[in-house]
Amino acid sequence: MTRTFTLPAGSGRFLAFLLLVVLVAMAFTLAEPRFLSTQNMSAVTRHMAANGLAALGLTFVVIVRKFDLSFAGTACFAAMTIGYLIALGQPLWIAIPAGIVVGAAIGAFNGVVISYFRFPDIVTTIATGSIAAGLAFVYSNGRTIFQNFMSSGILDLNDARVFGYSLSFVFLLGLYAVAWFFMHRTRYGASFYATGENPVAAYYSGVPTRLYTMLAFVACGVTCVFAVLLILAESGTADTNEGANLLMPAYAGVFLGTALLGRTSVMATLAGTFLITMLLDGFSLLGIPFYYSDGVVSAILLAGVVFFDARLREFLSDIGSFLQPASVKKEKRS
Amino acid sequence: MTAPALRARAISKRFGPVNALSDVDFVLETGEVHALLGVNGAGKSTFIKILSGVYRKDEGSIEVGGEAIDCRDPKEAIRHGIATVQQHPELVADFTGYENIFLGRESARSGLFSRIERTDLSRRANALLKRFPVDIDLSKTVAEMSAVEREIVAILQALAGDHIRVLILDEPTSTLTEVEKTVLFRLIDTLRHGGISVLYITHRLEEVMEIADRLSVFRGGRMVASMPVADVKAKNLSLAELMLGEALEHVFPARAETDAIGEMVLAVRGLTAAGAFSNIGFELRRGEILGIFGLVGSGADELAKALFGAIPIEGGSVVLKGHTIAPRSPREALKAGIFLVPGDRRVEGLALTETSIFNITLANLKRASGAAGILKRAGNRTASGEFAARLALSPPNLSMPVSGFSGGNQQKIVVAKGLFAEADVYIFVEPTVGVDIGARAKLYGLMRELSRTAGVIVLSSDCDEAHGIADRTFALYKGRQIASSDGLQTRNQLLMAGIMGELHRD
Repeated sequence: MTRTFTLPAGSGRFLAFLLLVVLVAMAFTLAEPRFLSTQNMSAVTRHMAANGLAALGLTFVVIVRKFDLSFAGTACFAAMTIGYLIALGQPLWIAIPAGIVVGAAIGAFNGVVISYFRFPDIVTTIATGSIAAGLAFVYSNGRTIFQNFMSSGILDLNDARVFGYSLSFVFLLGLYAVAWFFMHRTRYGASFYATGENPVAAYYSGVPTRLYTMLAFVACGVTCVFAVLLILAESGTADTNEGANLLMPAYAGVFLGTALLGRTSVMATLAGTFLITMLLDGFSLLGIPFYYSDGVVSAILLAGVVFFDARLREFLSDIGSFLQPASVKKEKRS
Repeated sequence: MTAPALRARAISKRFGPVNALSDVDFVLETGEVHALLGVNGAGKSTFIKILSGVYRKDEGSIEVGGEAIDCRDPKEAIRHGIATVQQHPELVADFTGYENIFLGRESARSGLFSRIERTDLSRRANALLKRFPVDIDLSKTVAEMSAVEREIVAILQALAGDHIRVLILDEPTSTLTEVEKTVLFRLIDTLRHGGISVLYITHRLEEVMEIADRLSVFRGGRMVASMPVADVKAKNLSLAELMLGEALEHVFPARAETDAIGEMVLAVRGLTAAGAFSNIGFELRRGEILGIFGLVGSGADELAKALFGAIPIEGGSVVLKGHTIAPRSPREALKAGIFLVPGDRRVEGLALTETSIFNITLANLKRASGAAGILKRAGNRTASGEFAARLALSPPNLSMPVSGFSGGNQQKIVVAKGLFAEADVYIFVEPTVGVDIGARAKLYGLMRELSRTAGVIVLSSDCDEAHGIADRTFALYKGRQIASSDGLQTRNQLLMAGIMGELHRD
């Protein structure tokens, strides 16, 4: 079991996660029977796709122990780029790759300055994210772009179904499967983990740690474009607000998953994202305004970070150790 | 008869199962400079931490000027007249010298609302400084000061209490140049004449001869000697012997047979790295182990890292199996066939939350994976299991995070990582620090085994280790290579070479 799901802490955590999912689902169903309806479940999977894609790239960044706060801005700039090209009459096969290039370029810039020039990750990505969000206004002076959207075919991305599931959800699962294999079954994934776990030891083991740190940011830049692409397809317009709602669910997905499954991994992010999406959807189904549900989910994120942070855990266990006999404490001091 | 400045009787201190100090008696006379010697872990740090109130003693008594004291914290020790200057003094970099000196006691009657009078502080600091034959500008910020100026500020800060009778200096010269050292020694000399007793901790024996009146040697948590410095000179005693004690011969495997020594693996000529070492040259043949003895600061760690491509070299050549190599990164060094078992395995060697298999395969992921970089999971488990068995890894659990293993077993995992990397030259730095005696014998045996197929270099600050494991040895002293032409040195020759920087003929 352990190896199948890459759960170092054992499969107990996975079962606990399933139990939590069942409990949450039961609670929502009791409050609102429509929660388990096909219609709602299909909405959950669609929403999960956008959140999950943004969280996937972020997972890479968190595995190399960095933060990327730019991807909401990046997603917005990429969305407006795609929208602008569609409005110009460019086909999707030009517009979408152009958006991906924008995401990859911003990610590469973040990665290079953070890993090779040792810029601080948080400040750098706040700056690049803000610049990207600002550049998003350049195409249309901030006006919503909708021209040619109906005829371009981008809406089909939202409506298309594969084996009865929405295309976006299948794409999500497919990309996660590829990412899982890459991260947990290849030497490249091992190098990402080694870079994050102990960059000095990784460097001494011949792992090009800076390259892997850089690539993590590129991955984050690219997957947030995938995420915003689904949002474009759903809304049928490109707006300078696009992507603004990706940041919190993505972080919540990654860190809640980490807290649930014991370490940051592709599967953990999927699990975290699933739970977060279910919560957000359930709250909106119950008619709870977003400003409450966002607060609740953010509080859950905060709880997840507390459990994830080793120092905080140690601090909490230190508080617990006051209850232990004195001899134990004495040994601890040495 | 007047009471000594400080007297400690039967001091003992335990940390868990470890006896850090056992039954230490110590006398510090008024106005003497007393050197405290001992290798790392000998107990001298614990001892001064007890004197300065950082730790509390388990047993024993301490008297200052004939009056028994029991300090619960450093503040209380200072109140009793014992001040300590740490090895790396904690000064506020952006504050001036005089601000640092009176930090926390800016005014005689300090209250929440008392004003800090800068001119007054400056005047008082300079008055304090005038008592000593040193001249520094106390209006500079600490960030602008040289190492010795910082040390002087730290000492003045310690003395600012006025009633200080005992000053503890923890390795004050570790960052000073020769010229700066004489400035510090002048200051210490003035203190001595002013009736202040100085307890001086150092690793450098020549300093002891230069500045100290008496010395005490710690070894294994006990005080093994305490005598006037003049006696050492008169009786020609070996302080190094006293510090290090007797050798542990039996843990080492037999040396290589002469006919087992094969072709040249590594030839190093004139290797130089700025500020670390210069003009190092040696040859390494298959079948033999080269031992390099060097204390902290000798450049041994840097030499290992330079050969491994982790720090840049300025000159010289490295020839590995007939090919000149100049690795610019560990990655290139590993490709060329050099593996480093680093000195600090937790920081430099292991990904602690990962499994043994992950760590063992990390330095040769190419071997650990097949087409498209897909990891050969079954093969890696088998290979790791074989290494674990060969090294008697305990517990033999390959899926457990390596943080759960003891120091010795963590080191075995680093060595297994090296075996998996299949190098031509293995460089071990401080291979048995924090490793228990059983695992040590196992590691030494493995080094010998490795030497049959690859070149093995062992760098150690433990002379017995460097001498015991190796077939040929040399010492590093302040970046210089101290070696006899034949490379065959007795343990004592090696010891003196590494500690004094001189080659003696027995």
